[in-house]
Amino acid sequence: MKEFHLDIPVEPPKELESLFLPIPREYVEDTYRKDEFLVLVGPQHPGSGHMRLIVRVKGDIIQEVIPDPGYVHRCVEKIAENRLYIQNIPLVERPSIMDSANFNLGYVRAIEAAMDIEVPERAKFIRTILAELCRIGTHLYDAAILAVFIGHTTGFMYPFGIRELICESLVRMTGARFTSSFIVPGGVRRDVDEKTLRWVYDATFAIEKRLKSFERIFIKNPTVIARLRDVGVLSKEEAIKFGVVGPFLRASGVEYDTRVVEPYEAYEELTWDIVTADEGDGYARFMVRVNEVSQSLSIIRQCITSMPDGSYISEQIGEVRGNFFDKFADIVLPAGEYTTLTEAARGTLLFTIVSDGESNVPYRMRIVSPGWLYLRGFMEALKGERLADLQAIYGSFGYFPPEADR
Amino acid sequence: MKVEKISRSPLEELKRHVGVIQEAFKQAVIPDRVTIEYPRERRKYPENLRGFIVLDKSRCISCFRCAQICPANAIQMSYFENFYPGIDYTKCIFCHFCVESCPTGALASSTLHDMAFKSLEDMKVKPNQMMRLPAAIREDVQSVEYDVTKKGWRLIRKMELEDIKVVRILPKLKPRRAFCLEPESCLGCRQCMEVCPHEAIVMERCEITLEGQIVGKGCVLKITEKCVGCGLCVRQCPMKILSLKEVE
Amino acid sequence: MISTLFEIFKSNMVQIPLIQPIIDYLMQIPLINFIVALILWRPFFAVVIIPGLTVLLLYLLYIVWFERKLTARVQWRVGPLEVARPIRGAIQALADGLRYFFQEAIVHKEAHRPYFVQLPILAFIPILLPIAFIPAGNVVGIKSPYAVQLVVAFLALIPITIIAIGWASNNRFAFIGSVREALIYVSYEIPFIIAVSSMIYLYGSGDPYVAVEKQSIVPGAIMNPIAFLVFIIAMLMATSRLPFEIPEADQEIAFGPFVEYSGMLFGLVMVLAYEKLYVMALLFVILFLGGWSGFYCELLGDLNAPLWLFIKTIIVISILAIVRSMYARYRIDQAVRYSFSWLIALSIVALVIGIAVGWIV
Repeated sequence: MKEFHLDIPVEPPKELESLFLPIPREYVEDTYRKDEFLVLVGPQHPGSGHMRLIVRVKGDIIQEVIPDPGYVHRCVEKIAENRLYIQNIPLVERPSIMDSANFNLGYVRAIEAAMDIEVPERAKFIRTILAELCRIGTHLYDAAILAVFIGHTTGFMYPFGIRELICESLVRMTGARFTSSFIVPGGVRRDVDEKTLRWVYDATFAIEKRLKSFERIFIKNPTVIARLRDVGVLSKEEAIKFGVVGPFLRASGVEYDTRVVEPYEAYEELTWDIVTADEGDGYARFMVRVNEVSQSLSIIRQCITSMPDGSYISEQIGEVRGNFFDKFADIVLPAGEYTTLTEAARGTLLFTIVSDGESNVPYRMRIVSPGWLYLRGFMEALKGERLADLQAIYGSFGYFPPEADR
Repeated sequence: MKVEKISRSPLEELKRHVGVIQEAFKQAVIPDRVTIEYPRERRKYPENLRGFIVLDKSRCISCFRCAQICPANAIQMSYFENFYPGIDYTKCIFCHFCVESCPTGALASSTLHDMAFKSLEDMKVKPNQMMRLPAAIREDVQSVEYDVTKKGWRLIRKMELEDIKVVRILPKLKPRRAFCLEPESCLGCRQCMEVCPHEAIVMERCEITLEGQIVGKGCVLKITEKCVGCGLCVRQCPMKILSLKEVE
Repeated sequence: MISTLFEIFKSNMVQIPLIQPIIDYLMQIPLINFIVALILWRPFFAVVIIPGLTVLLLYLLYIVWFERKLTARVQWRVGPLEVARPIRGAIQALADGLRYFFQEAIVHKEAHRPYFVQLPILAFIPILLPIAFIPAGNVVGIKSPYAVQLVVAFLALIPITIIAIGWASNNRFAFIGSVREALIYVSYEIPFIIAVSSMIYLYGSGDPYVAVEKQSIVPGAIMNPIAFLVFIIAMLMATSRLPFEIPEADQEIAFGPFVEYSGMLFGLVMVLAYEKLYVMALLFVILFLGGWSGFYCELLGDLNAPLWLFIKTIIVISILAIVRSMYARYRIDQAVRYSFSWLIALSIVALVIGIAVGWIV
C-alpha cells in the first residue's frame, strides 16, 4: 500500500520535556519528525507493572521500546553490605517474594561454598521441595498476571486460588506462607515431619486436579491462544544473542537449565525433563511454564517418596533451636569471592558474595536476577508487534519489576 | 521434553470453545468455591504458624540475643527489673529469628496472625503486653479447615471456634555460665563487668604496693553464682577470652 | 383541554384484573384519576413502566449485581456480600450507584466541556427511542409495521455518541478507544443487519406482531439457527462484552473512551453498554424466542405480554453474563478479521436460510 505523508512540521509535545525520560532530546524530535509517536506506558498504567516503557509506535506497530526500569529499586545489594550474613537471608528473599526459596537457596549456597559446609541429604531434599513449591507458585502467579493482562479475569482467580495450596504447604513446612527464611547455612531451620510431607504429597495431586479446570478455561481457551500465538517471537539465535534465560530461553528451543548444567541440591538424584518448545512465541513461553509446573509436581512427589532419614542440618552447625544466634550471628567468611548459579522460577539467578575475610558482613553482594537478564530479550520481542500486544508479551514473559530492579 | 504444537484446525478450535463453555457452566452450577468469609469464619492454621510472639518473663535471662539477631531491628529491650524485649510490629517481618535464638525458650510463637492496632504507637508492643496474647474481639462463629486428599481440595466448615495456641518448644540446652578461658590475657578493661545486667562479674582488686609487691590476684574476673549464662560479656570481651560452658 | 386528554387516556388503558378494584376506586378521586389514567395509558405505560424506563432501571440494578455474582461463582469466589448481608449483597448495585451519584464529577481542563458533560445524557436518546417502538402485546408506545428496522436504525446511533464521548474527552487513551469503537462498529453492524434482515425475510415483515405470530409453533431460533448465532455474537460485539471488550480494554487503554469520566457521569456511561444490551435483547427475544407469547394468566390481563417479554429478556441477558468469565479479549485486528470473514459468511448463510424458510412457510 502506498503511503502518503504531508510535510507539516511536528513538534514533540511539551509534556515530554519534563518527564525525566532516559532518552536524549534528539531522539524525541527525530521520532516526531518521522511521523511516529512516543507512547509512555506506565508506571501507573494498569497494564505495565512498576516500570515505564517508552514505546515508539508507527500507527499501531511498535518500532522500538526503551525500558525505564528502577521504579522499585530497593538497594538490596547496598543494604546487604551493612548486615550480618544471617540477617541478609530475609533481605534477599524480598526482591521476589513468590520465589523466595530459590533466592534464599542461592544466597545460602554461596555461604556454604565459602565455609565448606556439607549439607546432609535430608536437608537437600527438603530444600528441593521448597524450591519447587516456590517455582510452581511463581509460575501460577505469572499465569494469573498474564490472564489479567489479556482480560481474562477467571484466569486470574484460578491460579491464585491454586496458589493457596502452595502457600498452605509452605505454612505447614516452614511456618510462613512465603518469605519463610527457612533455608540457613548447613541445612534448614527445622525438621519436617512425616505427616506434613504426606499432606504436601496429597496436595500435589489436588493441585493437579485443580489445574485441569484451569487448563480447560484458560490454557486451552481459543481466545488466549489467538492472543498469544505468533506474538513476540524470539528465534533460537535471537534468544541466545539477547541473553534470555530460564523458561523463556527454553521456549525458543535451547535446552539449558542450571539444575542440569550445574546440579545442586537433590536434582541429580531425581528424574525429570527439561521442557522446551520450538516456536519461541508468547504461547510457547506460557506452555513451557505450564509443563514445568507438572514437572515440578513430579519432582516434589519423588522427593517425598525417596526422602532419606537423617539430620536436617549439618553436624558442623548442630541443633538450631536456641542456638540460632550463637551459630550464625558471627559467621565470617574467608576472604574471596563466592558465586552460585541457581535456577529460579524465571531463570538463572546469580549470587556473588565478596568477603574481606575479617568482617561479619559481606564486603559486596551481587544479585543478578533473571528479570534483569531477560529484559533485553523482552524489549526485542516487542518490536514489530501491535500496541495491543504489549500487555500479552509482557505477561508471556512474566516480567516482575521488583525482581529485576532488586 | 518438547511442548506439543497447538493445532490450528477450526474443528479443534470449536472443540476448545465447547470445553470452555462446559467448564464455565459446570462451575456456575456446582462451584469449586474456596473463599473463606474471613472475619466470620477463621482458617485453622497449623501449630507452627509464625505469628504474634509471646514472652515468658520468668524464663528471660535478658541475653539480648533476640534484639541483636533481628534483621529488621524491630526488637527493643526495655528495662524494668531486668531487660526484656519489646517488639515493634511496624517493623517485624515475622522471620522468628528471635524465637529460634532464644536459649531458654522465653519467646514463643503463637498462631495469632491477625493483629490490629489503634495507632502507630500501639504497634510498639511493650514487654508486659507481650506476656499474654492480646485481647481480641472475635467475630467468627465457625472454623474452616482445608481437606486435601488425592481426590481434590475442599473446605470443611465446623461450628467450633478455632483456639489460638501458644507453641513453646523448649530448646535442648543445659543452663550455661560464662567462663574465662585465658585469664592471663585479660586486659582489665572491665567492659564485661559493665555490660553484665546481673552484676555477676566482679573484679578482684589488684594493687602494687610501694615496695613493688603485688597484692591480690590481679585483673582476673570472678564470675559469681548470679550468672545466668546470657553471654553478653562473651560478646563484649575485646580479647574474646570468655566463653559459655554448660553446667550441671 | 384536560378533559379531552383524560378521555384519550381513559379510552386506551391497560387492563389488569388483579388491581382493577383499586384502579376503579382511584378513578373516582379527582386529579388522582388523571395521574392513574396517564400511567395506565398504554403508550405511556409501555415507555415509562414496562418494558420501558422503570424496569430498565430495575434491570440495571439486577444485572450489575447478577453479573458480579455469577462471575464470582465461576471464579471460586463469593462476590459482593457485605451490602445487605441477609440477602447476599443484592443491593450492591444500588450502593454503587449512590456512591457514583455523590462523587465529584471532575471535568478536566483539556476536555471539551459542553460535550463532555452533555454526551452521557444525550446517549440516552438512542436507547430510549427504540423502546418506544418495541411492542409487548397490547402495550405499545408507537405502533409501526417497521418497528424492527427502526430499532436497528436507532441502535446504530449509540456508537456515534460513544465516539463523540472519546473525542470530547481529548485524551490519548480515549482517542484510541474511540477509534477501536468505530472499527468494532463497522465490523458488527453489517452481520447484525444481515442477520436481522434474514429474519425479516423469514417472517415476511418487519412488524413484531407478525414475527411473534409466526413463531407461535416453532421459535425463530430453530427456524434459523445461524442467524441466532450471528445475532448473539453481534450482540456481544455491540455491547463490548468479552471476548470483544476491545474499545474499553482496561488493561490496555484504561476504559478507552470513558477514561476521563468520574462520579455520576461515569455511572451514566458505564451503564450505557448494559442499556444497549437490554434493547438488543428485547429485539432478540422478539425475533428468535417468540416474543411475548407465553402462559396466559387471567388475573394479569394486559400485563401478561410485557412480563413475558421482560422475563425472557432477563433470562437471555443472564445467560449472556457468563461470557465475561469465559473468554479473554481478542485483539482489534483479530476481531475485525473474524467478523469480516466468518461472521459475514455465516450471516449470508443465515440470509439464504431465512429466504428459503420464509418461502416455504
